Amino acid sequence: MITVTELRKKRGANTVIDGISLTIRKGEVAAIVGPSGGGKSTLIRCLNALEPFQGGRIDVDGVSLQAEGTAKIPKATLLALRRKVGMVFQQFNLFPHMTALENVMSGPRFSIGVSRAEAEKIARPLLERVGLAQKADSKPDQLSGGQQQRVAIARALAVSPSVILFDEPTSALDPQMAAEVMAVILDLAKEGQTMVVVTHSTEFTKRAHVVHTLERGRLVSSVSN
Amino acid sequence: MNAAFRWLHQLTPFLFLLVPNAALGQDAPLRWGGDKAGGAPFIYEEPGKGDVGFEAELAAFLGKKLNRPPKFVQCDWDAIPDTLQRGNIDIALNGLEFLAEREAEFPSTIPYFVYTLRLIVNANDEAIRTWEDLKKPREKKLRVGVLRGSFAQRYMEDNFGKDIMVIPTKEVDETFQLVEERERMDATVQDSPAASYYVQGGLRPKLKVVGPPAHTGFYVILTNPKDVELRKQLNEALSQATASGELEKIYKKYGLWDTDQERLAYHQIRPWPKTAEEKPDETKEAPKEHLTIAGLADKIALAAWMTVKLACCAMPLAILLGMLVAVGRMYGPWPLKVVLTAYVEVLRGTPILLQMYVWFFLIPSLMRIIGGDELASWFTAAPFYVGIFGLAINYSAAEAENYRAGLQAIPKGQMEAALALGMSPMTAVRRIMLPQAFRIVIPPVTNDFIALFKDTSICSMILITELTGLYYQYKYDRELVLQLALTIGLIYLFISYPLSVLASRLEKRLSRGAHA
Repeated sequence: MITVTELRKKRGANTVIDGISLTIRKGEVAAIVGPSGGGKSTLIRCLNALEPFQGGRIDVDGVSLQAEGTAKIPKATLLALRRKVGMVFQQFNLFPHMTALENVMSGPRFSIGVSRAEAEKIARPLLERVGLAQKADSKPDQLSGGQQQRVAIARALAVSPSVILFDEPTSALDPQMAAEVMAVILDLAKEGQTMVVVTHSTEFTKRAHVVHTLERGRLVSSVSN
Repeated sequence: MNAAFRWLHQLTPFLFLLVPNAALGQDAPLRWGGDKAGGAPFIYEEPGKGDVGFEAELAAFLGKKLNRPPKFVQCDWDAIPDTLQRGNIDIALNGLEFLAEREAEFPSTIPYFVYTLRLIVNANDEAIRTWEDLKKPREKKLRVGVLRGSFAQRYMEDNFGKDIMVIPTKEVDETFQLVEERERMDATVQDSPAASYYVQGGLRPKLKVVGPPAHTGFYVILTNPKDVELRKQLNEALSQATASGELEKIYKKYGLWDTDQERLAYHQIRPWPKTAEEKPDETKEAPKEHLTIAGLADKIALAAWMTVKLACCAMPLAILLGMLVAVGRMYGPWPLKVVLTAYVEVLRGTPILLQMYVWFFLIPSLMRIIGGDELASWFTAAPFYVGIFGLAINYSAAEAENYRAGLQAIPKGQMEAALALGMSPMTAVRRIMLPQAFRIVIPPVTNDFIALFKDTSICSMILITELTGLYYQYKYDRELVLQLALTIGLIYLFISYPLSVLASRLEKRLSRGAHA
């Protein structure tokens, strides 16, 4: 599903990722752990081309990303890749000018281009699945952090991605809310959703199929549970 | 304390500028006010010769006679009397007509020139052959340009106001340009010196004078009431110049000596100033109604409506343009960024007044040079549209900066979230970034709208009669001017004040929203 080969990334003079190679198989739940500043977030942000990199390559489901300055990927390919790779952010990043429902509809409507009615048919069941059907018309600032993150997960799911990247999804939440969000993520895992999760949660690492540990930009261990 | 005054010390060499020249004694210069923009043959500059023109030479002659070196002071033509009243000049000498109602405030000398009003049309115009042709019923009213605040403006409004559109203009030169173009003006009425010098003198071959001269009037020198002695000296000098043939010599140089001027001596020995009953036959007119604010109510309402229309049409355009420019500068490829940065900086770094002149007068002329009348006709839109265009373009630069700041204020995660969902960058900007920026910029945009509302006054320079333009047109009426200024000021205030209250409320509400 995803193959990372000899990935190298610099930010200024700092080497953030220093030659990482790893594979994520279809249906696999991979946890990425390690100390802060180890390159975890940067790694997954490279996976959906939010960040360019300077060496190595990434292959996602037949689309390959090259190092900056080599072959340029066509725009259409890039958009296709991003639709295959969903992402959930630490700070939720819901669109504040849209209701919860509109947030979930935004991917189908503006990325895929389905009609409003069609998008709503996709979005409502997803909101129900994350337990927020009754909050469909609330704006993000009327929702708790945990609720916002669950809407964000529904929003990522709405474009039916092959894999979802989670960037510390519970770090900005208090324990109870974190538990709500974690329950949703574990539920997805049960259904066979391929996921890459950057996390500090030991509870989650116990349930992941594979735990990759990053330190100072290097992959120091990959342990299968 | 010391530090605060140190800079003042450095200014002392300039302090003598503040000392009134009159205090310097007998040889105080004779400061005479005029407007070079009025151009030939009155006073204008010629390379190598400096200031020339029949009035410049007259001023030189008067200076010699009065033993005071003449010193020209540049004024706005329609503000020359005001400048005289302020004390910045000693005499007003620039094609100022004798007006009985002006005598009390600005006593005049005996006349130095007899002028008539001349009707000037495009050389190819066959429809307007006489003054009577102006009154013929037409589908569209004829547009006739007159110098703002001149007697010609009043004459045309009083005698033809119902049949034609009287368009007050700022300069003779630009009025001639418009009649040459024909798209935006059909005819103009000017004083005889301009008509004979430019049109009959062959300098403007695309124009012709039609019909007989209308209304005979006098150019006089205006002074301040207290300067009795100065008036006496000037009158003596003027009679002398007429008797000795000096005046004839000067006027002949500019092709201005005619049978009217031959009667100057006769007019000069008659009692002066003339009273209304004592006017010579040629100047007899129907008694004029007195202008009042109530009488102008219709015109004021129309002008206010024009101001509102200009502001309300220009602002949405400015916002739309500014938004596109901001997006281009933020997300476009680098050549576009360079072009748009230049666009913003040029528009922000040059005065809107100058820009308006460029759009209205310069671009059409330029296009005529490049591509002839065909091309020029594309650029000679009606003043109203040019006004909206000029305002919108100028304000688009400010709106572009607002939107750029607004877009930059949006957290980085918003764009990333949109891209991560697979939106194209353009879609992300349109659906995610701009709607959020729109809210952020509401307060500054409202403030800009207030500024634009007031800047519509610039349009008075390009033949649009909005509130400020109306003021310029009627400020010659010394009794009305104060009320008119007050009325117009209050209208501006009544519209802009609620807007500024709205802006500060929006600002408060939105900043509260940001903390919630």
